[in-house]
Amino acid sequence: MKALGFAWRSLVRQPARAALGILGVAAVGALLFDMLLLSEGLVTSMRDLLDRTGYDIRVTATEALPGRGPRVTGASGTADALGALPHVRSAIAIRLADARLEGDGGVPLQVGFQGVAGGPGRPWTVLRGRDVQRPGEVVINEGIAGQRGLGPGDRMIFRPACDAESDAPPAVTLEIAGVAEFPFEAVNEGIAAGMLETIDTACGTGGRDEADLILVASTGDTDAAAAAAAALRPDLHAVTNSEVIERFSESGFTYFRQISAVLSAVTITFALLLITVLLTVSVNQRLGEIAALRALGLSQQRVVANVFCESALIVGAGGLLSLPLGILLAVWLDRILKSMPGLPAEMHFFVFQADALVLQVALLATTAVLAALYPMRIVARLPIAETLRNEVVS
Amino acid sequence: MPSVLSIVLLALAVTAPSTQDGEAPPILVTRQLAASEGLEQGQIIRLAPDSRGEGGRPFRIAGVYEPVPDPARLGTLPREVRLHLPDLLALTRLPDVPAGTEYVEAINIALVDPAEARNFARDLNARMPGVSARPAAEAAGSGATFQVLRRFHLAIALVTIIASTVFLLALTIMLVDERRETVGLLRLIGLPVRRILVQIFLEGLLIATAGGLIGLLLASASESLINAFFQWRYDTALVFVRITPYVAAACLAVAVPLGTIATVTASWVLLRRNALRLARR
Repeated sequence: MKALGFAWRSLVRQPARAALGILGVAAVGALLFDMLLLSEGLVTSMRDLLDRTGYDIRVTATEALPGRGPRVTGASGTADALGALPHVRSAIAIRLADARLEGDGGVPLQVGFQGVAGGPGRPWTVLRGRDVQRPGEVVINEGIAGQRGLGPGDRMIFRPACDAESDAPPAVTLEIAGVAEFPFEAVNEGIAAGMLETIDTACGTGGRDEADLILVASTGDTDAAAAAAAALRPDLHAVTNSEVIERFSESGFTYFRQISAVLSAVTITFALLLITVLLTVSVNQRLGEIAALRALGLSQQRVVANVFCESALIVGAGGLLSLPLGILLAVWLDRILKSMPGLPAEMHFFVFQADALVLQVALLATTAVLAALYPMRIVARLPIAETLRNEVVS
Repeated sequence: MPSVLSIVLLALAVTAPSTQDGEAPPILVTRQLAASEGLEQGQIIRLAPDSRGEGGRPFRIAGVYEPVPDPARLGTLPREVRLHLPDLLALTRLPDVPAGTEYVEAINIALVDPAEARNFARDLNARMPGVSARPAAEAAGSGATFQVLRRFHLAIALVTIIASTVFLLALTIMLVDERRETVGLLRLIGLPVRRILVQIFLEGLLIATAGGLIGLLLASASESLINAFFQWRYDTALVFVRITPYVAAACLAVAVPLGTIATVTASWVLLRRNALRLARR
């Protein structure tokens, strides 16, 4: 009988402890798997979100986040000029503003407003109705549609909060052309969008032609397009999605990466210690049996391999079970973390990555080997005659 | 000044001119900014409202301060300065904006009775259209973030407890099995099952309490290590781990019953067997 088969029978002979050992490894493995997913999950999710917008370069006036720094002047002209560059497919200028959606005597709804110029693309996807075609029309997201019961063809009263230095502008009535999905919208966040002229008119800043950012879609060579954009307007900052991701991975939510590293180390140490203890106690209880097997002719390597295979079987079975458990746990933990205010609804903390799976397998395999070392040593150095004698005397 | 600073607009006061004639107005800089740019108290620096450095004015560093730790900005270097509001307005005022017509992003109001915050905000919103007033507790969105993080950590703790319980059961089953003959002999010499069970219960209670206390000691010892690591990693004064009496009590309240129950459960399975079988006689 091969060592693996022998180890299998040893485990099956004591089903309760084997099952508990496997379940324990599965629980620890699930947590480890989730921590590995968490370590890069946000960055992967952010990259996915940025790529889904279809624009791979962001042009702003300064390094500040859009809406928190000075605006790009001559926005429409700049977007058109950027769109005409050789490596650029399209460019749109976006101006951001807060607005208050007046209700029918109810509580006003705070929403975000986006005004867009240039094209031909739009940074949203129309779900119902049609896209905006002229100033005075807007698309709204499901957040507004659901909370206010509005849809295509309806009208709504907006009171924009534009530049802080300007007087509070009067409320304006806008026509809803359609309901759209915005890639970075947060859960329950209300977003409306229209043409740049719409926001200019509403804010009473017509003629200023300013934007918070310009999104540029390259024809494929992103770096060349970014260099061309920087050359066109040296006073502006053009960053590619990769650079955004790089900055985000350096500063954004690094806490989760750190906590995942700490918890991964703790869980793997925990698993290592406990499997070692389980195997050691199990081997100590079977010293007489192992000595008898040696006396019957089983080689030292064979009994050592048996202990190693037991460890491999426990960790292997537990590791396999840990994957579905880990996925279920990740869904639960992701739901908890996504209730953070202001996070895009499509952003996830736990994102499956093949690298994480490979690392999980490697860590568990290493754990199986390390956990088996001490009990293997006990078995390898077992004095056969003395152990058998002690067994008989006891 | 090696690089242009992006100014986070935080003003200290709105009253009184901040400087005497001809003297550079005083500012405070964060410890991190001072360290990264090599700034010292008393040094004269230039601050400009745009990245090209145009429109810059001299300021005197009156002191270096430790910024209030902000978990929402963890990992970002707080390159901040604080200056008197009139100085800030003078620095950032656009050429076409007359003095005295500038704006501020927010006004913090301290009420005589903080409990009235909600009513005050509602009243102010009704009286002043275009102004949005909110109680500070609601305005601090990061508060909700902490609640979410707390729930996340509790969920992790729950999974850890489940994993520990499974392992604990496996270990106790094996340990109890090792004492099978002893228990069998005790049964044979006349000790009732209940008596043995009480003994095992007390033993389990002692071991679980000792284990829980050792765990707390380990946690206390690692508390400062973890805080020191993360404070070094993020260059912040934030406290990441704090073992409060409540946390310690909660840990013991979970660990001790769990350990005791695991021991008694594993032993009960054994004690139900025949005494002769247990003693292998």
